[in-house]
Amino acid sequence: MLTALQRHLTSVFLKIFWRDRRSIFFSLFFPVIFMTVFSFANSGEQDPISVGIVNNSSSAVATDFADMLIANPLFDVTVGEEARLREELIAGDQTMVLVLPEDFDTNIGNTTSEINVVVDAAQVSQLGLIMPLLEQTLLSIEREFRDIEPMFSIAIEDVQARSQRYIDFLLPGLMAFTLMQLSIAGSGFNIVEYRRKGILKRLFVTPIEPRDFITAIVLARMAIVLVQLSVLIMFAVLLLDIRIVGNFFAYYLVVILGTIVFLCQGFCLGSLAKTQEAIGALGNIVIMPQIFLSGIFYPIESMPEWIQPVAHLLPLSFVSTGMREIANAGATLLEIYPSLIGIMVWFVISFVAATRLFLWKEVAN
Amino acid sequence: MPIIEVSDLAKQYPLPDNKSEKFFAVNGVSLAIEAGEIFGILGPNGAGKTTTLEMMEGLNDIDGGTALIDGISVNDNPYKVKEVIGVQLQANEYFDNINLEELLSLFAALYNNNADPIALLKKVQLEEKAKAKPNNLSGGQKQRFSIACALVNEPKVLFLDEPTTGLDPQAKRNLWDLVRKLNKAGMTIVLTTHNMEEAEELCDRIAIMDKGKIIAEGTPQELILEYAPEPPEAPLHGDLEDVFLVLTGHELRE
Repeated sequence: MLTALQRHLTSVFLKIFWRDRRSIFFSLFFPVIFMTVFSFANSGEQDPISVGIVNNSSSAVATDFADMLIANPLFDVTVGEEARLREELIAGDQTMVLVLPEDFDTNIGNTTSEINVVVDAAQVSQLGLIMPLLEQTLLSIEREFRDIEPMFSIAIEDVQARSQRYIDFLLPGLMAFTLMQLSIAGSGFNIVEYRRKGILKRLFVTPIEPRDFITAIVLARMAIVLVQLSVLIMFAVLLLDIRIVGNFFAYYLVVILGTIVFLCQGFCLGSLAKTQEAIGALGNIVIMPQIFLSGIFYPIESMPEWIQPVAHLLPLSFVSTGMREIANAGATLLEIYPSLIGIMVWFVISFVAATRLFLWKEVAN
Repeated sequence: MPIIEVSDLAKQYPLPDNKSEKFFAVNGVSLAIEAGEIFGILGPNGAGKTTTLEMMEGLNDIDGGTALIDGISVNDNPYKVKEVIGVQLQANEYFDNINLEELLSLFAALYNNNADPIALLKKVQLEEKAKAKPNNLSGGQKQRFSIACALVNEPKVLFLDEPTTGLDPQAKRNLWDLVRKLNKAGMTIVLTTHNMEEAEELCDRIAIMDKGKIIAEGTPQELILEYAPEPPEAPLHGDLEDVFLVLTGHELRE
């Protein structure tokens, strides 16, 4: 199927890439850093709320109350002197300080005992979150003392049965972004570089045909994209515990289709741009809007309404959405057919444009 | 029968400052180059030398006229012509990170043959540079390596575009020796040059081009006899440089 020439040229392109350690490093560096930062910054679990307790009451009830808060994983409790805890509150080390009055238990069952809550106004946004928890805790203490059963209890059932963390959302987007970068660089930027050096011209005086050259670039880049993405996926799954729910075969199929689309676009850009500066500018026009509009870092649904229809139609949107539905929701190829249709339409457009624009004689000269 | 027959070759380009107007970069060039010759094309910058070569090599579309190499029409069968010619271009950069031996085996693959890279490197005295990258070669070594690449398909005709431009005298003479050696082995060589000494020393016949046309053609001796100024104007002796200046004028080009 492949001629010896095509195989040889493919291996040369692979060697060139493999020996260029700096660009391998940079193509992996950015997604790795992003994944690492977001997986640690946003591990999906709320940090415990720092609460200081000043226990002015020596009663058992007050100690019970404090113990219940300490036992609650939502709180990180420090018991101590009021003056010191107030300082910590001002320094931002405590979110709030609870002052239990001396008469915390003496009036149980008779009048209401008042707990003084000291907060920093800057932290007040957290108050809405904390107060119900406090009331809940107080209520259960009260129930215990009055010896009554709660009328209702709430059981929470997670229907998704898996946690949807930001990092899980991010991974397929970063993969799609990486494959776009690698593909457009592989065809577009390299062609301009080879032309500048006169390499294309030199190749053109040998009997090599355009399809040999194109085949070799496509195969070599495909291999590079698949290996680089696999390295990233292994990093994500093994070290960062990011889950990919769907079928790997389906996932990689979308990767391959996306790579072909962006390679075609790269051939178009590389044929249009005659200089390194021009390909840089053209590349940015194609790449930049897609980074921000294709739902790589945040869902398209969170963008302004008027831009959403456009955003949905970008090639990278179809690729990243397809990959995300497979990775996060375990969708099958059949279920992501809108993305697949979008990718196919972009393939036809890009392929036709590439065959019109990539003319050996003109590109080589 | 000549191995290269070019008749009435023409190439038109749009004017740089007025895209709607065209000018002839090559305007009716006819050449007959015999097998086994070293043929030089001389001319000031912009005379059309490189464009003429590129049309013969199939690199550039032929807008008018015909070119036959070894009986094969460049107009009709550019890919067949590529099999029998070797080309050294003015730009001699190659892929980064690929060493000389690997580049030569790539070129062999392009011609679908299995030429021995080391034997080719020996031919151009670069065998100990087999593992070096082209970027680490000197100017002379780069040119010799370009010639090695052009020899991969054992061409009948070798085209050299300004092979010694920018080389020091040692490297220049070394390259001349290489060209003579290849020519002795039966290869027809077509080269362009600005160097009159090179043309006089190396070439069997010369064509002088200006403004897209050939304005004189012959052996160096014939051209000197015919065009060199008489002794009063050139008191010491007439040489090819005088011929060149008489024919193309003293005006600076580009």
